[in-house]
Amino acid sequence: MAMARSVGTLASLALLPKTDLKGLVERLMGEFTVVGPVPKGKEYVFSPIQSAGDLALDYGTTILPPKKVLHQPFEVLFSFHETEGICEAREPERKQILFGLHACDVYAIQILDRAYTLEYPDPYYGIKRQNTLIIGLNCHQVGPTCFCQSMGTGPGMRQGYDLLLTDLGDQYLVEVGSSSGEALAAALQLFPAPRVMLVEKEKRLDEVRRKFHKRLQTTGLHELLEDNFRHPVWEQLMHQCLACGSCTMVCPTCFCYNVVDKLDLGLKSGKRQREWDSCMLLEYAQVALGHNFRKDRDARIKQRVYHKLVYYEPQFSTIGCVGCGRCISACVKKIDFTETIAILRGE
Amino acid sequence: MINPFQPELARIVDIKKETYDTTTYTFAFAKPTVQAEFGFLPGQFNMITLFGIGEAPISISSDPDERDTFQHTIRHVGNLTNALNRLQIGDTVGIRGAYGTGWPMDLLTGKNVLIIAGGIGLAPLRPVITQIFQRREDFDRVEVLYGARSPGDMLFTDQYEIWAQRLGVKLTVDVVPRGEQWLHQVGVVTKLLAVMDSVPENTVALTCGPEIMMKFVVRDLLSMGFEPEQIYVSLERRMSCGVKKCGKCQIGPKFTCRDGPVFAYAELLTLPELELGGVGR
Ligand SMILES: Cc1cc2nc3c(=O)[nH]c(=O)nc-3n(C[C@H](O)[C@H](O)[C@H](O)COP(=O)(O)OP(=O)(O)OC[C@H]3O[C@@H](n4cnc5c(N)ncnc54)[C@H](O)[C@@H]3O)c2cc1C
Ligand code: SF4
Ligand code: SF4
Ligand code: FES
Repeated sequence: MAMARSVGTLASLALLPKTDLKGLVERLMGEFTVVGPVPKGKEYVFSPIQSAGDLALDYGTTILPPKKVLHQPFEVLFSFHETEGICEAREPERKQILFGLHACDVYAIQILDRAYTLEYPDPYYGIKRQNTLIIGLNCHQVGPTCFCQSMGTGPGMRQGYDLLLTDLGDQYLVEVGSSSGEALAAALQLFPAPRVMLVEKEKRLDEVRRKFHKRLQTTGLHELLEDNFRHPVWEQLMHQCLACGSCTMVCPTCFCYNVVDKLDLGLKSGKRQREWDSCMLLEYAQVALGHNFRKDRDARIKQRVYHKLVYYEPQFSTIGCVGCGRCISACVKKIDFTETIAILRGE
Repeated sequence: MINPFQPELARIVDIKKETYDTTTYTFAFAKPTVQAEFGFLPGQFNMITLFGIGEAPISISSDPDERDTFQHTIRHVGNLTNALNRLQIGDTVGIRGAYGTGWPMDLLTGKNVLIIAGGIGLAPLRPVITQIFQRREDFDRVEVLYGARSPGDMLFTDQYEIWAQRLGVKLTVDVVPRGEQWLHQVGVVTKLLAVMDSVPENTVALTCGPEIMMKFVVRDLLSMGFEPEQIYVSLERRMSCGVKKCGKCQIGPKFTCRDGPVFAYAELLTLPELELGGVGR
């Protein structure tokens, strides 16, 4: 990066020629584990990258959201031993960068922050989160199941990032969103950019905004759902839904988990582990003696939809769905709750 | 960062068999400092760990003023609770807590208190009874209605006569096995509502038991003229964390582990799910 000038006092706006991206990512990899979108078959997944070339920044969406590196599908809470007692299994975490996240996924991380770090902060999530920087990437395309625009979470990213990239053709506009982002930008010696580049950015985003065809009308949504708890649509969905839990597994804001103890072979030691759980599964609300508080499938379907669209608000003062569309594309039966809402609205 | 998921070791210092399937365990935390700092409100619960088996939410059944030890009264119904049955005095378990809301003790002062329990549901109410017993003059009429399946299923049987010295105690069982003597009522717990001395005026009702029992208790109390604001219930839900993280215990926007397990019935009426025969939507 011979041409790069240092951005001493940061103008919070910089330009990054695309030809410099590789070098930048490689410098980041020296200090951080860089997790970004990489191709897997015909789809994409977030994965730690081995080289800058692994990144597929033109990705639409990923199978699982980046949540999986902060709230892991399986996580050991501690190990226990007959004589030594409880040992915390936590390893020192390497600093990581989540690279190329879209607006919906960044918003979802902010929702998880509320669920995991407010009351009784979760140390496993908290430490990983503290060690994580987010480099966002504004979307330049709209997937067939995307409806972030309706939820007010995208396509333009407004918060939650340390650095934000917007594709302007042969260069990226880089915006700084935090003091860590500012330090990062300074260390990377980016070109300062004139503020008029923001106009260029908005122009690009406007093109994206025009491309949405899926929408979920959110005005009066709480009232609509509260008035329609007994609507026949739930029973119809019950007959389609397989209650497989795929929709919650791929959701960037779902936080539920189950806890299991695993004994080692000698039966003298073992570990306590948590694993993602889903309110769509029969066992989720089951207690001793076989009693189940959500035995019926329609009750479970409603739990998911109402939790996402209504209950997050009183619980965490935020919406619960960021409109990433993953639950729609993951559903074998193609159940799409934007359609359910349209039915309730009589559309 | 403190870890809310990590239990402290606690030693079993006493075991008392209550019935054929229920046992009261007296615990003390292994570290004296942990025991000294441990306090709780009547109605709160702990998460009890048997390492290698798992964790279960269990109400604290002893009086909060006893500071050297605390008790849990546990019905052996499944993996963890059956495994507990095999432990002996001196064995250790993991315990963390205390969690959840307690019974509204502040609200009870100067009021009539009506306590309605079914089966194991008497366990989380015993701290309320012992607290009232010790500060009897702070309350007006106090009555305990308790029902179980059979005389052999009744908990804390040696306590009733003591309690009866200062408060009303009425008992019932669903069935009396042939040949057994039973001097109290026969029938479900709601039968006691018909013969109790309590009236709605200036009374707070606290109830805990099987969900179906509480449903009928609430229904009958309402028809007798109690307002939803006067009735408190303690709910059971699946719990994998106790600290508002695992999501399992949710009822509408409420986390039973944190916003409950004790709820004002009026609060449950705001929920969409049909709780305890509430209106729902
Ligand atoms: C706030 C609160 C207070 C309570 N207080 C008391 C009390 O004072 N005394 C008392 O006796 N009880 C109390 N309970 C009930 C007590 O928690 C349960 O009886 C206890 O959890 C049963 O545990 P178990 O392992 O013995 O039963 P199990 O039936 O073996 O398992 C318990 C839980 O694990 C689940 N589970 C087990 N195996 C599986 C599997 N393979 N897959 C999926 N799920 C599985 C069950 O669905 C159930 O929810 C209370 C419950 C709550 C919520
Ligand atoms: S509910 Fe569906 S669309 Fe909304 S955030 Fe979750 S997976 Fe994405
Ligand atoms: S209750 Fe269901 S929808 Fe809500 S976070 Fe848990 S798994 Fe997701
Ligand atoms: S028990 Fe885990 S959230 Fe309530």
